[in-house]
Amino acid sequence: MIYYFVLPVFSLVLIVFQTTVLDLFFLCKIEFELSLILVVYAGFHLDIMKGGVLSFILGFFLDCITGSMTGLFTFIYVLIFSISRIVSSRVYLEGIAFIMGFTFICVFSEGIITVLVYKLICGVDMYSDVLRVFFPQALVASVLSPALFSIFERLEVLLNVGETR
Amino acid sequence: MLFPKKYQSIIIALILIITSIIILSLNVGRPGGTGFLRKLVLEVATPLENIVDSSIECVNSMWERYIFLVGLEEKNRVLEKKVASLTKEVNYHREMYLEGMRLKKLLALRESVDYFTVAARVIGRSRASVFKTILINMGTTDGVEMGSPVLTDEGIIGRIIETSWNVSRVLLLTDYNSNVDALIQESRAYGLLQGHGSEGCVLKHVRRSEKIQLGDKVISSGMAGIFPKGLLLGTVKRVEKKKYGLFQEIEVSPTVDFSKLEEVLVILSDEVNEK
Repeated sequence: MIYYFVLPVFSLVLIVFQTTVLDLFFLCKIEFELSLILVVYAGFHLDIMKGGVLSFILGFFLDCITGSMTGLFTFIYVLIFSISRIVSSRVYLEGIAFIMGFTFICVFSEGIITVLVYKLICGVDMYSDVLRVFFPQALVASVLSPALFSIFERLEVLLNVGETR
Repeated sequence: MLFPKKYQSIIIALILIITSIIILSLNVGRPGGTGFLRKLVLEVATPLENIVDSSIECVNSMWERYIFLVGLEEKNRVLEKKVASLTKEVNYHREMYLEGMRLKKLLALRESVDYFTVAARVIGRSRASVFKTILINMGTTDGVEMGSPVLTDEGIIGRIIETSWNVSRVLLLTDYNSNVDALIQESRAYGLLQGHGSEGCVLKHVRRSEKIQLGDKVISSGMAGIFPKGLLLGTVKRVEKKKYGLFQEIEVSPTVDFSKLEEVLVILSDEVNEK
């Protein structure tokens, strides 16, 4: 139960860290979404309830803090979590190449969904950003994902929040 | 649980997805609207962001300052060198200017004196308190002779007491061995101006009956044939008439500041320069 009390605080700190410190690390050129990698990881390792709530809250906080349309990242994160969860039950997850490839697809898909949502709902044309912004973003996230997965695994053991399958 | 365990995952996932779609669609309907939860998150996140931002800003400014200082040190070194060089140059020009001004005065004096003269530079001075002499860079090869009067634009400073080929020694008015025939310009009273060391000079043998006042000018009388007549020696700074005695005691302050002498004029002979 304590997990659900700590989760909002943890999520908020993570999102703030991501939008402030991490942006600086990447010199404000690439938006590195640590939260999305965590969502992918949650899809692989956490149970549906814990992972789902984590994804929902992370997405919601990201919506609030980035100033995007409320519900956009919430929807994307929950969707990616659900897909990761489905994939995790059918594929061997330990390979680095798979983690990198899957993370790349997820991050790039997030970009594509964002572009489509904005086009459909607001009529804003963001196609040029797909290659200029989202592709490098997905590339960086995929490269760093194995290392981050390893860190998340250790944290999972430390906090004892893993799924008991 | 409300749902069968087999479909539990799918149902929860669907609930979350549908909820997020509902949130999204609700916000699409009212663009720009800020819900309560969103406001709450912003309120909580802003101080946190401020803390992180200020920490980053602090680290950033320290880093930038450090980098700036590294560059600044080099720049400062270059500028310091430049300042030193320019200061040296300015000092040189200032010295040249002052020397020029002094030489101009000396030249004016030379023009005004009806004798053959030679300008000389002070190259040494006695540090001892008893003997008041200076060395100049002109000697017998330049026509300087024993007893030649030496003066500046401010007045007489003394006479030559020792000469070699290129250097001469000048006995200053304040030396105890210096005696100059003088007269007081206002009262025309004669006396003998004698050096009195660091206290200046004293004018001796001035009769009691003479009316001498403070500030009266003392000039060379031209009597002994060493100093031309009418050159300024000093001003009266103290007069004392004792109850008895033929003469009064007069202290004279030389018009020349001997500690600041740099260039002087030596009168070579008493022959009049026809010009």
